[in-house]
Amino acid sequence: MRIGSALAGTAASMAALAALATLVGGWGLPWSGDDAKPAAKTYEPPPNSAIPEGKFGDEVRLGQNIFREPGTYAAHYVGNDLRCSNCHLAAGRLAGSAPMGPAYTAYPAYRAKNGHVNSFEERLQGCFRYSMNGKVPPLGDPVLVALESYSYFLAKGLPVDEKAPGRGFPELPKPPLPADFARGGQVYAQHCASCHGPDGQGQSSGGKIAFPPLWGPRSFNWGAGMGSVKNAAEFIHANMPLGLAGSLSDQEAWDVATYMDSQVRPQDPRFTGDVQETRMKFHNTPTSMYGRTVNGAVLGDPAVTPPAGTVPPAASAPTPSGEAK
Amino acid sequence: MALVVAAWAMPSGAAWADEATVAAGAAIAAHGTVVGRAACSSCHGQDGAGQPDVGIPRLAGLSTYYIHEQLGYFASGARRNYVMSSYAAALTPAERREVADYYASLPVPRNPDPLPVAAAALDHGRTLFLNGAPDKGLLSCSQCHGTDGLGVGSFSPRLAGQSAAYIVDQLQRWHGGADRDPKGQYMRAIAGRLDTPDMRAVADYAASLPRDGGKP
Ligand code: HEC
Ligand code: HEC
Repeated sequence: MRIGSALAGTAASMAALAALATLVGGWGLPWSGDDAKPAAKTYEPPPNSAIPEGKFGDEVRLGQNIFREPGTYAAHYVGNDLRCSNCHLAAGRLAGSAPMGPAYTAYPAYRAKNGHVNSFEERLQGCFRYSMNGKVPPLGDPVLVALESYSYFLAKGLPVDEKAPGRGFPELPKPPLPADFARGGQVYAQHCASCHGPDGQGQSSGGKIAFPPLWGPRSFNWGAGMGSVKNAAEFIHANMPLGLAGSLSDQEAWDVATYMDSQVRPQDPRFTGDVQETRMKFHNTPTSMYGRTVNGAVLGDPAVTPPAGTVPPAASAPTPSGEAK
Repeated sequence: MALVVAAWAMPSGAAWADEATVAAGAAIAAHGTVVGRAACSSCHGQDGAGQPDVGIPRLAGLSTYYIHEQLGYFASGARRNYVMSSYAAALTPAERREVADYYASLPVPRNPDPLPVAAAALDHGRTLFLNGAPDKGLLSCSQCHGTDGLGVGSFSPRLAGQSAAYIVDQLQRWHGGADRDPKGQYMRAIAGRLDTPDMRAVADYAASLPRDGGKP
């Protein structure tokens, strides 16, 4: 049974929603049968109360703080208003939003993105470069060690396996109709704008970002995983609208992902100086809108595209703190 | 729907307020609009502090947008409350905006003295508020109300320092599937995963949060 189609149009049915969200909320998300995806199995990430005392526990707690508040705990590597936990929900614990435990057990792994086998630390570096539109912490940097410690802690009990339960996003079937920017705009206005704002700029609470920006200069850059329409559609279908996950149809998820990923956002840090060349080298796939023309504007055009890697020079060093929030 | 969305996206706070509407709203709060009926202030106070122990909510500290929207829902019957419905219906749309502007313009009153709450319950409330319960599919309150419970723009109200009794009452209603307002669908999904001790714990924690995000 497809979650999306089963629920399309019945968002008001709370019993169904509650049942659905229970499914989506646990690690035991029932995947639609694709061999590349993990089998339905449950796994409980350990709670914070299981973090051990001592030096290693301190490192786990610091890692969790960085994960939740990178702008505070890893400020000198962060160039936007996002947090790791904005995309990896429940502080990297939630199945279906690329949780850290099953990610940890999947590395080292070959990545087509950079054409070689990546250690887990190198995978983390990419998050800062692209998703955080920031600067890459050097290998061995305390920020990476803390994040790796936290991920290892969340991986406890999982098999060393690139298909550990809960990994990645649940696969989403191709939409019945080709994904459409204009329809996506309607989905956005109806289901997303109340939180993320009419212009995708997000909203804050007492000066702290609560609903993260989806595009614009303070969001992820053109090189980020969420910039792939496929990743975004899968993430959105499984997790958004927050609290009513699973209420969008497959079509709506693809449409709104296309809309979101066709907006102005910071430049790809690998930009060669030429948009079409950059597209050919790094975005030559139907799931990237980079270099395409939408509403008469070329996406990635340096004239209107904010710069990559905008870490303020004065950003201070992280403050190690053992207090898990 | 388009209309609703446009309204949701409206900035909160002082966007609508000017001195004349605030003054008109103050008069409505103090005297009401119907001769012989109690005014807003008789329950919510002229300072908007409410009566926390009996569950009458604090209005000062809510955005004009939120108050205005809720008055509209009371008036239309989307949000049912036997006291508020008739009050809201007796106000014209302009009056609802004025009184919303008035209460939103007030300084947030000091939190009431906390009732004694067991440390373990408060701790449980804090955990639910900040982390939710991923194993139950429960989001954290902080995801939509902010880590300090100050509310988010036009979307969600301030919970910090709000009456715990009021919060529990609302959670119970959503838990029971009550229609409150169009955004109630989010809260019904949340409250459906809370049992009574959870609700009390999370309400006590929210009530204990500093009204302005500062130190207690
Ligand atoms: C804008 C959303 C976003 C933010 C912010 C973000 N990520 Fe990610 N992350 C993704 C997406 C999307 C993927 C999957 C990418 C892919 O498959 O190409 C991913 C993948 C990962 C992976 C690999 C997962 C796996 O199963 O292989 C790790 C590890 C990771 N992110 C860590 C982090 C850390 C640490 C941060 C904060 C410094 C962070 N991410 C911030 C969206 C984000
Ligand atoms: C109830 C408020 C709410 C609604 C409605 C909502 N979101 Fe979100 N969204 C959030 C919050 C909060 C987060 C961050 C989650 C966290 O930090 O726990 C988020 C995170 C995201 C992210 C990852 C972070 C980023 O900045 O890229 C994307 C993408 C996203 N939402 C897209 C959407 C889309 C598309 C819709 C409409 C289908 C939508 N959201 C509806 C609240 C909402």
